[in-house]
Amino acid sequence: MEVGKLIKIIFLGVLNVVFIWTALFLYSSQAYWVLLLLLLGAALVNFVFISEKAYPYRYLLPATFFMVLLVVYPIVYTVYISLTNYGTGNILSKEQAVAQLQERSILDTEAGNYAYQAYRDGQGQLHFVFTSPGGELFLGYAGGLTPVQEGDPRLVELEGFTELTRADLVRATNEISALSFSLDEGRQLRMRNINSFGVYRQQYEYYPERDELLDLETGTTYRSVQGYFQAPDGTRLTPGFREVIGFQNFRKLFTNPQVTGPFLRVFVWTIQWALLSVGCTFAVGLFLALLLNDPHLRFRRFYRSVLILPYAVPAFISALIWRGLFHTELGVINQILKATIGSGVPWLQDPVWAKVALVILNLWLGFPYMMIVCLGALQSINSEMYEAAVVDGASTWQQFYHITLPLLMVSVAPLLIASFSFNFNNFSVIYLLTRGRPPIVNAQTPAGHTDILISYTYRLAFESGRGVDYGLASAVTLVIFLITGAITFLNFRFTGALEEVRKNV
Amino acid sequence: MYRKHSFFRALWRHAVLLFFVVFALFPILWVISASFNPANTLVGQRLIPSNPSLDNYREIFTSEQYPIALWIKNSVVIGLITSTLVVILTAFAAYAFSRFRFKGRRTGLFASLLIQVFPQMLAAVSIYLLVLSIGRLVPALGINTHAGLIMVYLGGAMGVNAWLMKGYFDTIPSSLEESAMIDGASPFQAFYMIILPLARPILAVIFLLQFIGTYSELILASVLISSSEKYTLAVGLQLFIHDQYASRWGVFAAASVLGALPIVLLFMFLQKYLVTGLTTGAVKG
Amino acid sequence: MKRLATICLVLVLAAVLSLPAAASVPGELLIWTDGERAPVLTEVAKSFVGEYGITVRIQELPFGDIRDNLAIVAPTGEGPDIIIGAHDWLGQLVTDGLIEPIDIEDPSLFLSSGLDAFTWGGQYYGIPYAIESIGLFYNKDLVGEDGVKSFEELIEISEGLQAQGIYGLVLPQPDPYHTFPFFSILGGYVFGMDDQGVLDPLDVGLANEGGVAGFEFFQELMDAGIIARATPYDTMMSLFKEGQAATMMTGPWAFGDVRAAGVNYGFTQIPSYKGQYGKPFLGAQGFMVSSFSENKMLANIFLNEFVATTETMLAIYEGDPRPTAFLPAAEIINEDPDMRGVMEAASTAVPMPAIPAMNSVWTAWSDAIELVINQQSTPKAAIENAVELIVQTIKDSM
Repeated sequence: MEVGKLIKIIFLGVLNVVFIWTALFLYSSQAYWVLLLLLLGAALVNFVFISEKAYPYRYLLPATFFMVLLVVYPIVYTVYISLTNYGTGNILSKEQAVAQLQERSILDTEAGNYAYQAYRDGQGQLHFVFTSPGGELFLGYAGGLTPVQEGDPRLVELEGFTELTRADLVRATNEISALSFSLDEGRQLRMRNINSFGVYRQQYEYYPERDELLDLETGTTYRSVQGYFQAPDGTRLTPGFREVIGFQNFRKLFTNPQVTGPFLRVFVWTIQWALLSVGCTFAVGLFLALLLNDPHLRFRRFYRSVLILPYAVPAFISALIWRGLFHTELGVINQILKATIGSGVPWLQDPVWAKVALVILNLWLGFPYMMIVCLGALQSINSEMYEAAVVDGASTWQQFYHITLPLLMVSVAPLLIASFSFNFNNFSVIYLLTRGRPPIVNAQTPAGHTDILISYTYRLAFESGRGVDYGLASAVTLVIFLITGAITFLNFRFTGALEEVRKNV
Repeated sequence: MYRKHSFFRALWRHAVLLFFVVFALFPILWVISASFNPANTLVGQRLIPSNPSLDNYREIFTSEQYPIALWIKNSVVIGLITSTLVVILTAFAAYAFSRFRFKGRRTGLFASLLIQVFPQMLAAVSIYLLVLSIGRLVPALGINTHAGLIMVYLGGAMGVNAWLMKGYFDTIPSSLEESAMIDGASPFQAFYMIILPLARPILAVIFLLQFIGTYSELILASVLISSSEKYTLAVGLQLFIHDQYASRWGVFAAASVLGALPIVLLFMFLQKYLVTGLTTGAVKG
Repeated sequence: MKRLATICLVLVLAAVLSLPAAASVPGELLIWTDGERAPVLTEVAKSFVGEYGITVRIQELPFGDIRDNLAIVAPTGEGPDIIIGAHDWLGQLVTDGLIEPIDIEDPSLFLSSGLDAFTWGGQYYGIPYAIESIGLFYNKDLVGEDGVKSFEELIEISEGLQAQGIYGLVLPQPDPYHTFPFFSILGGYVFGMDDQGVLDPLDVGLANEGGVAGFEFFQELMDAGIIARATPYDTMMSLFKEGQAATMMTGPWAFGDVRAAGVNYGFTQIPSYKGQYGKPFLGAQGFMVSSFSENKMLANIFLNEFVATTETMLAIYEGDPRPTAFLPAAEIINEDPDMRGVMEAASTAVPMPAIPAMNSVWTAWSDAIELVINQQSTPKAAIENAVELIVQTIKDSM
């Protein structure tokens, strides 16, 4: 057998061992659906590696595996969440909320504390002797209580068993706290702390058939409505629970004025931001590339190496540095401005100036890239065309407009569109320079003047002072996904069309 | 007449270029200067510090509360491992897309491009829970592990990277592999011994782009890593300087200088591949 | 092919909906804490193991992440038994069903305002270990050994200092938390109490007579140049450290910085105005028990017996010098004049409301302050608008 085949068999063998191991783990965790998926996946992998027809897919498998696990699954999850009310106030599942409410018991403080002794018999069963506040003795065993008098033979029997010391009690706490003893009409004796038992009454009873919760004390019925148990008069029980609420988040996004207002503003600025970023960096980059393309220019290599430097500094470091430079009181830029024109500018506090600061930062970060790209594209333009044009008497501007620009756009257009898309979602720059601030007043959801869609969504989901709203955030995420997906889609259609043009030139 | 004209033209060109040189360099020079300024505050900065010292740099290596040097090391290691793995994964996938004809080829490539457009950072909650579950199976890949973080980054390997690489592979004539296969080589051997060496430029570009991206990634790293000594530089630096500009500027500047160094070095090392890689791969030839 | 894809999609969805809850280990305690308390708790854990043989694991998280992480992780069963946290998290944590009431064996060992901060619906939900409020830092070289007791005094002193370009007072802006004393000093409040002693989220008193008067006073001080305008935290620190501000209104977290800068400082309570004391917000930090814990009783025992001790509380104080809420430890700690000052400051403090509606307050309030600082609105208009918006937001989320 050749080496190649041997390697393949060993590799497949190892993979299958991993599958089996994971399958066992999933089975023991009772994650049956995931287990099913795993088995399907394992079958697929084995098929791909055994069948000769599936040869190409072997190359795709590793990258696709990671993509499906870490991108596709989160997308599906996000879709699911966007259809629920998951967020502050609705964190638990319904079962968990019901369980908590049912566990809720009212401590009868007037009944007082019951001291106790615990004993373990030969079979490991626990026996208790309770002393009520009034001095009465009770025998506790298997959930039942029996009143006894001093000297009762059953008490004597207990002395044959092992009495639990304090340390033993602590170690057995979980066991003991799970026990309850019926005292009378709905009252139970349960462990209150290490030293005593208390008298508890259950507060709520759940009726699954009617999906209602009954308050045993007041008699109020609570119906399950939109993630809360609600009484007829509107009061809600906490905790709430997460529930699928359909397209409500989307509806809120597009119809609730306090959500739509900021959303639209942020959306408009996001588009402006992306356009400005691409526009400015491209304009400057092209301009510099045209200058540097001139073979007569001296020190070209010096200029090129220096001008490329901003691109080599990681964006997050640059953003933080510029934030220090734009510091209103102590930043260098304002120091220089104060010295030259007499006053500084409230860079990060004023809505308009903050935007200007962002554009300047992005220009600094992005012009080198555009410069390189344009240089490369310029160099690929056939110089014969220029010679022909000069012969025809074309001016520099005409040469630029009719030859350089169109040919340039063919190579560069897809990159411009990609840059638009990138800046549309350029979280780091916005977050690190301004954090989206200054804030828009009167917005129900936390939006700032310099927030772009993605930073707005991030703050909605993770930094909202009024609690997190994962449902709404997921809805916005999907909207962002659709928009950028559409842009990408159009980009590639467009590029395809341009390709045809190029071939015909 | 011609010469004089030429002189003025050259003059304004150089003036403009110098303006942009200043624009490009001034933050960098300022930060380098601040890194040597022991005063550590934003107040009263000058371009050449009056008494330069290495205090700020020392602080980076010795501070217990903010182990910045450690953060830099973390980012570099994670970046190198992620980029290597991404290049490998993508190369395999791109080879398949470029050389084989199979069902779902075009749609697959297109679909993976569109899927990758999804802003992974916004699904941080689902990724957190996912890594939590994976961590139960394989503790080495759980929450607060570098391996887990790398794994999450690998999800984004295929996508634009694969498309760029495929574009480059397309420019390599298949006649070379064909003759190799006639001589008895398997497609894999052709891939490994012929295509890969020829594709060095695009491999270098993808490696560099991925390294820069991973090095700068902020959100997923802050969600998945919770102990201070495991932070990446992006996460740690951001926490360090948050609203403390006035009093930590010096150390921050030193951290910026050292922190930018790995990428600058990598950049210079791979510079020659950059222009060719970027334009050739992007333009389907 | 398409059918296969749809089946897979459905399966993935189903899998998502049923992620299993593996048990958080019964018989073992897991504590979520931040870097500052971790070393102390690790030591305490060792004693607990020694005495009862029960393992205690410590997991470190950034303090600010604990609340939201608990919400995500606890319902999946992977959560901790005990967490540390701020008292104003109670609103979210209790209404989300994430924490349990705690049985405190001896409440008299704790500062009553600390216990109040962790009380909800008449039950204790946390054991406090630290309390804090902002107070007044003062530069002894500029205002004397005893500092400034009233705003009237401050105004007098500032007139002399202004000539030298020194501010009378600096505070971080715009920051409602720090600006609250101005609102409360003449009678403003955030939420009023109803007759059952529970905060009423619809009774927002920031724009009442006292609130507006206090806010206007704040603006007057700014207009007179006594308070520096628009100073974010780090600028404020710089000014105080460089001796450009006579007093600074912020909290004990600034001790380290101020000491390191070598300022000859003192710390005392917020000055009074017209005889009324400025009431800052009281914040408390404490230990809480997760309602998803499999070891609730055990957690209670651990907290009552091993954490609520003078030894542990002193160790916590040493790890992060915040005024303690544990009275026996306070006696020892208050030998330090700074700590005494903080207790003084906290004595006039009002617990920050922990009801969920509090979350709806910050943004609008902060914006109102910002507008007044930037002179884009009068205090009365700004705060009245803000309160309208706040009440509307609260109503909408009910």
